[in-house]
Amino acid sequence: MENPYIPYPVEVIKIVTEVDTKDIKTFRFAFVNKEDEEKYKYIPGQFGELSIFGKGESPIGIASSPTQQGYVEFTVQKAGVVTSALHEMEEGTRMGLRGPLGNSWPIEYLEGKNIVIVGGGFAFTTLRSLINYMISGDNRKRFGKITVVYGARNPGLLIYKDELEAWGQRDDIDLHVTVDKGDSTWKGREGFVPTVCKEVAPSSENAVTVICGPPIMIRFTLPVFFDLGFSKEKIITSLEMRMKCGIGKCGRCNVGSKYVCKDGPVFSLAELDKLTKEY
Amino acid sequence: MEKRLIKKEALTGIIGKIAADTTVCAPVKVEDNVLFKVLEKGDEPLVTFANSKNAPKNFFFPRSEVMLRYTRTTKGMEFSGGEKEVGEAVLFGVRPCDTRSFVLLDMLFDQEKYKDPYYIDKRQKTTIVSLACAHPPYAACFCTSVDGHPVSSAGADVLLVDLGDQYLAEFVTAKGEKLLKYFGDAKADTAADEKKEAIAAQAEQEIKSHIPAKAIKPILDVNFEHPFWNTIYQKCLACGTCTFLCPTCHCFDINDEMKDGDGRRLRNWDSCMFPMFTKETSGHNPRTSQKERWRQRAMHKFKYYVDNFNAIACVGCGRCVKYCPVNTDIRKIVADISKL
Ligand SMILES: Cc1cc2nc3c(=O)[nH]c(=O)nc-3n(C[C@H](O)[C@H](O)[C@H](O)COP(=O)(O)OP(=O)(O)OC[C@H]3O[C@@H](n4cnc5c(N)ncnc54)[C@H](O)[C@@H]3O)c2cc1C
Ligand code: SF4
Ligand code: SF4
Ligand code: FES
Repeated sequence: MENPYIPYPVEVIKIVTEVDTKDIKTFRFAFVNKEDEEKYKYIPGQFGELSIFGKGESPIGIASSPTQQGYVEFTVQKAGVVTSALHEMEEGTRMGLRGPLGNSWPIEYLEGKNIVIVGGGFAFTTLRSLINYMISGDNRKRFGKITVVYGARNPGLLIYKDELEAWGQRDDIDLHVTVDKGDSTWKGREGFVPTVCKEVAPSSENAVTVICGPPIMIRFTLPVFFDLGFSKEKIITSLEMRMKCGIGKCGRCNVGSKYVCKDGPVFSLAELDKLTKEY
Repeated sequence: MEKRLIKKEALTGIIGKIAADTTVCAPVKVEDNVLFKVLEKGDEPLVTFANSKNAPKNFFFPRSEVMLRYTRTTKGMEFSGGEKEVGEAVLFGVRPCDTRSFVLLDMLFDQEKYKDPYYIDKRQKTTIVSLACAHPPYAACFCTSVDGHPVSSAGADVLLVDLGDQYLAEFVTAKGEKLLKYFGDAKADTAADEKKEAIAAQAEQEIKSHIPAKAIKPILDVNFEHPFWNTIYQKCLACGTCTFLCPTCHCFDINDEMKDGDGRRLRNWDSCMFPMFTKETSGHNPRTSQKERWRQRAMHKFKYYVDNFNAIACVGCGRCVKYCPVNTDIRKIVADISKL
């Protein structure tokens, strides 16, 4: 019997410090056994359990896209036991990875539609996966217009800076990067995400919004999209609950009858309306 | 179905014979408690007892269980082994409510998509010999309110029914039939069947506690925010006794433990009644007080499990009622919900 609790062995092959405060890093892993990579077929929006023997496990959204082969990436903020141990790691270290877990961004539903991506802070990770997936080669044709609004508190806290730069050069992404407050070198936009969304005002015609960020950003951004005519079915987000097993057994992460680890983490606002507000 | 009759005094001997051939877990008196444990030399299995204090779920889902092991290498910590294989075993003397709890736990641990190998392995290799409650032992028993019955064979491989002067042994499954050889060859006749039916009807009559457990699901569906929840939790100590003794509670934590260069990952029972259960690293806790935790316990048993598996996650064993230190009574909570 396949044991879903035993992690695949992986090796840290690249570490990128994403932010000036140095507490957010992107870890690139390669599978020690090539056949495990075949088994780790994921879809943007899914997550994995990063497993450090002796420390524990943490559920982290997959930040790379399945179109990027040979590795998987996770962007992790240093928080408690496991994530701190991870931040101490060096390239070449071996650890474990479970998954892929959870549902995913609803790719089939998104196909043929205009996609509005709204991200705040480092919760941008699985949105980055989705963007890279949508713009990879022939995939781009399967989606309509892509609008991205991404914000951080200040320029030093923006993650994936090189990629933002590259996306900015493309004419098939309408990219709006904003910071709450700029600094002397910042030439881009200033303003909060909800305000920028209002200015950009993406059309709700045949469009879906995918949004991830701090609760406060989401709270102020949603009304903007309602005003633009997006229905609750067409606004999609990802939930977070404390997790352990990641496969709907340990009973920890339920919101109403749904386990966020197994039935989520991705839900539309319409689906969330049917659940309790306990998250 | 194969059926046998055995003499009352023969039962202990039969258990002894099975225990000589395979691992047997049975109720044993330990100090003042009746507990399920693996029979060792000199242990006297009980055949007349009310019910065990601990639920036999411990046998398939131990309170603490090694999931995997690892060891330090030059590359860092590396996996060094999975769970240890268990052998075949017989779980003897399980009351019908507890036997049914395995059917409920199977729904969770043995789902189509994710299978829990630790639970399933032990479950598949274990034969359950259930002991019907000819006389339901406690005033707090309410199995008949939650789809159970004191003489039910649901989940059992063998069901033993005390007919007064002898036991009727029903070999419900093929797994159970493998134990036939221990039970002699006195085949049961229709008189025994009739006697069993009469005992079952009588036992059902003897259950005095009835609660509207099946009626409250639609009420729970729409009353998550009801002020009723403000009234049930104040005295709760968050001790977790109710969940640890409950045969259907399955929540667990996963913890790592290291000694020198070697370590292991364990799963340990956890409880939704504990404040830390849902607390995130950031400090955010979606269930901030015992109110939310009690609501979770009630909702999980009588609504969420029904939503997900079409079954109530309570077998009416009454343990939580009997052992709650502050006398919180889930029967009263269910009754009160039915009046909302
Ligand atoms: C679906 C999902 C995706 C996530 N994606 C990311 C991401 O991309 N980047 C990132 O930095 N963080 C992410 N998180 C949050 C991250 O899981 C927690 O910050 C992390 O588990 C803290 O672990 P720790 O061991 O460092 O902290 P400790 O406080 O030592 O945590 C103890 C354990 O509790 C559990 N736990 C504690 N807080 C959380 C939490 N908020 N969510 C889930 N489990 C928790 C974990 O099992 C953890 O190991 C995500 C959470 C979820 C549920
Ligand atoms: S046994 Fe009683 S006091 Fe203890 S957690 Fe359960 S309800 Fe609360
Ligand atoms: S909730 Fe109480 S009565 Fe019901 S199965 Fe659990 S311990 Fe027994
Ligand atoms: S993390 Fe265990 S049930 Fe969701």
